[in-house]
Amino acid sequence: MKAKDIMIPLKEYLKPNNTLKEAVTLFKAARRGKEKIGVKGLPVLDKKRMPVGVLTIRDILRAVFPSYMSLMNLGDFTWDGMVEDIAKKIRNKKVSDIMTRKVIIVHEDAPLMECIDHMLKNDIRRLPVTKKDGKVAGMLYEKDIFFAITKAMVKKNSGGKK
Amino acid sequence: MSSETAAVSQAVVMGPLFWIATAIFILAYALIISEKIHKTIIGMFGAAVMIVLGIVSQEDAFNSLDLGIDWNVIFLLVSMMIIINIMKPTGVFEYIAIKSAKIAKGRPFMIMAIFSVVTATVSAFLDNVTTVLLIAPVTLLICQALELDVVPFLITEAIASNIGGTATLIGDPPNIMIASKAQLDFMAFIYHLTPVIILVLIAYVITIKFIFGKKLQVRDELKQRIMAMNENEAIKDPVLLKKSLVVLSVTIIGFILHGFLHMEPATIALFGAGLLLLVSGNKEPHHIFAEAEWTTLFFFMGLFIIIGGVVKVGLIKWMSVQVLNITQGNLFATSMVVMWFSAFASAFIDNIPYVATMNPLIIDMAKQLWPNLSGTELLHHPDLMPIWWSLSLGACLGGNGTAIGASANVIVVGMAEKMGKPISFKKFMLYGMPLMIESVIICTLYVWLRYYVIKI
Repeated sequence: MKAKDIMIPLKEYLKPNNTLKEAVTLFKAARRGKEKIGVKGLPVLDKKRMPVGVLTIRDILRAVFPSYMSLMNLGDFTWDGMVEDIAKKIRNKKVSDIMTRKVIIVHEDAPLMECIDHMLKNDIRRLPVTKKDGKVAGMLYEKDIFFAITKAMVKKNSGGKK
Repeated sequence: MSSETAAVSQAVVMGPLFWIATAIFILAYALIISEKIHKTIIGMFGAAVMIVLGIVSQEDAFNSLDLGIDWNVIFLLVSMMIIINIMKPTGVFEYIAIKSAKIAKGRPFMIMAIFSVVTATVSAFLDNVTTVLLIAPVTLLICQALELDVVPFLITEAIASNIGGTATLIGDPPNIMIASKAQLDFMAFIYHLTPVIILVLIAYVITIKFIFGKKLQVRDELKQRIMAMNENEAIKDPVLLKKSLVVLSVTIIGFILHGFLHMEPATIALFGAGLLLLVSGNKEPHHIFAEAEWTTLFFFMGLFIIIGGVVKVGLIKWMSVQVLNITQGNLFATSMVVMWFSAFASAFIDNIPYVATMNPLIIDMAKQLWPNLSGTELLHHPDLMPIWWSLSLGACLGGNGTAIGASANVIVVGMAEKMGKPISFKKFMLYGMPLMIESVIICTLYVWLRYYVIKI
C-alpha cells in the first residue's frame, strides 16, 4: 500500500496570510468526503499550491502559551481567563507567524512504512502528500495508517505466512 | 616620572612578534565587537594562533597565572553554575519572586522596587545573567496578570542586576577576575564596594520612582490575581531545597572566611559544588553539567591566552606607560580616568575582555611606580587599591549604559522581543545611560571621599 491509496484528497487548506481566526474556523469545517468532521491540522499552501508550512492545533496551543512559561515552573501561578485573554489578542495573527515551517512531505508513491518513519521520527500526525510536480495532492493522517494496520491484523491469511 | 616612564617604554621591544601579537589582539577584539562571529569561536581560535605562532608557549597558556588561563576564574564560575543548576528545579526562585510580588500587594511600583532590590541582592551572589533569567519570567507573568507594559520592569531589573553584581567578589565576572589577579579576598570587596553599591541602589530606586512611579497604575481586581497566587506551590522539592540552602550557606561562610583560611575563592566554590552534587543524591549529573555555560567558559579561556600573548610581547606594558603619561603619575587622576573610561568602554564593549586587558595593565603600571615591591606588597599598595575599586565600579556599572553593555541587558532585550515588545537600542540607552552616569557620579564621590580625603 502506498501513500496515495489511503490519503484524503486535498480539499481544505490554508494560505499564509489567513488569520488564526479564519484558520480555526476552517479546522472546524473540514470535510472528509461529504461528512463534516473537523481536523486538527491543515497544510499551508502558497499561490501555486506548493506547501510552505503546516498548521496544527499544537501550533495554536503554543501560540497562546507565553514563551516565559517554558523558562520556569509557573503553571501554578496562572489565573482563570488567562488563555481566553491571550486567544482574543492573537486571533488576528497570521498563519505564517505561527505555522510549522519545516514541512515533512511524502511523495504519493511512498510506501506506508516510509510514512510511519516520518511520523515517528518527527513526532507528527499528518503528512502532506505531493505529486511529481511538488503540488499537494492530499493529506495522509496517522489515523488512516492505523486503519490500514488494523485491516492487516484482522484479515485472515493476508500477507505473511504462519 | 616622565623620564622614568620613557625609559620603561624603550624597554618594550617592538619586534615582529610584538606586532603579530598586537594584530591578533586587535583583530580578535574587533571581531568580538562586530559580533560577526561568535565570541567564543574568536577567543578559541585567537588563543590557538597565539600558541601556534609561539607567542605564548602551551605550557604558559595552560599553566601560568600571568600569561595563560586563570583557573581561579574558570572554577569559580563553573562551580557556581553547578550549584544554581541543582537549585533551580527546587522552585526556590519562583517562590522568592511570587512572594515578593505579594509583599508588594500587587502594587506596580512596589513590585518594581522590590524586584529591583531582590534582583540586586540575588545578583550579588549569583551571576547577573542567571539572576535575570530567574526573575524575568516571573516578571513577565506578573505584568501579564496586571496588564502592565513589561518593558520598564525588564530594563530596571537588568540594571539592578548589574548594580548588585558589583557588590561582591562573586557577583560579576569582572570582580572575579580582579580578585584573582589582584589577590583580593571576599571581605575586601564587602568592605570596599558593598557600601557604595548600597548607596547606588538607594539612589537608583528613588530615581526609578520619579521615572515610573506615577505611570504605573493598576485596577484593584487585577491585583487580586497576584494575591490569589500561593507561593508555597512553587516549592517542588523541599528536601533538595533544604540541602541546597545548607550547602549554599556553607559556601557563603566559606567565601567570607577564605582569606582567613588561606584558600582561593575557587576552592570554596568547588567544595560547595562538589558537596551539593554529593548530597543531592543525583545519580545522573549529566544534565547539570550540560547546562553549565560552556561557551562562556571557553570564551574566558581563549581570552586569557590572547591577553597572555600581548602581555608577553609587552603591548600591555606599553599601554600602561601611556596611561601614566596621560595622568602624569597622579594616582587620584589615574583612578578617575580608570573609572570613567571603564564605564564608557563597558557600555559599548563586553566588560570581560576589557577587564582581562586592564588587570595586567594596572599591574604593569604598579611595577613602574614601585619597582622595588612585589607580590601582595605591590598588588595591595595603599595607593593602588582605589584603582582596583575604580576599575571594578566602572567596568561593572558601565554595562548599564546601553542594551549591549552587559549580558543581562542582552537577555532582557531578547525576552522582550520574544514577547512582541522590542526594546530599541535608543530606548534602553534613554534609561540606561543617565542611570549609569548617576551611579558612576556616586562612585566618584565615594572613591574621592573615602580614599583621598578621609583615607580609610
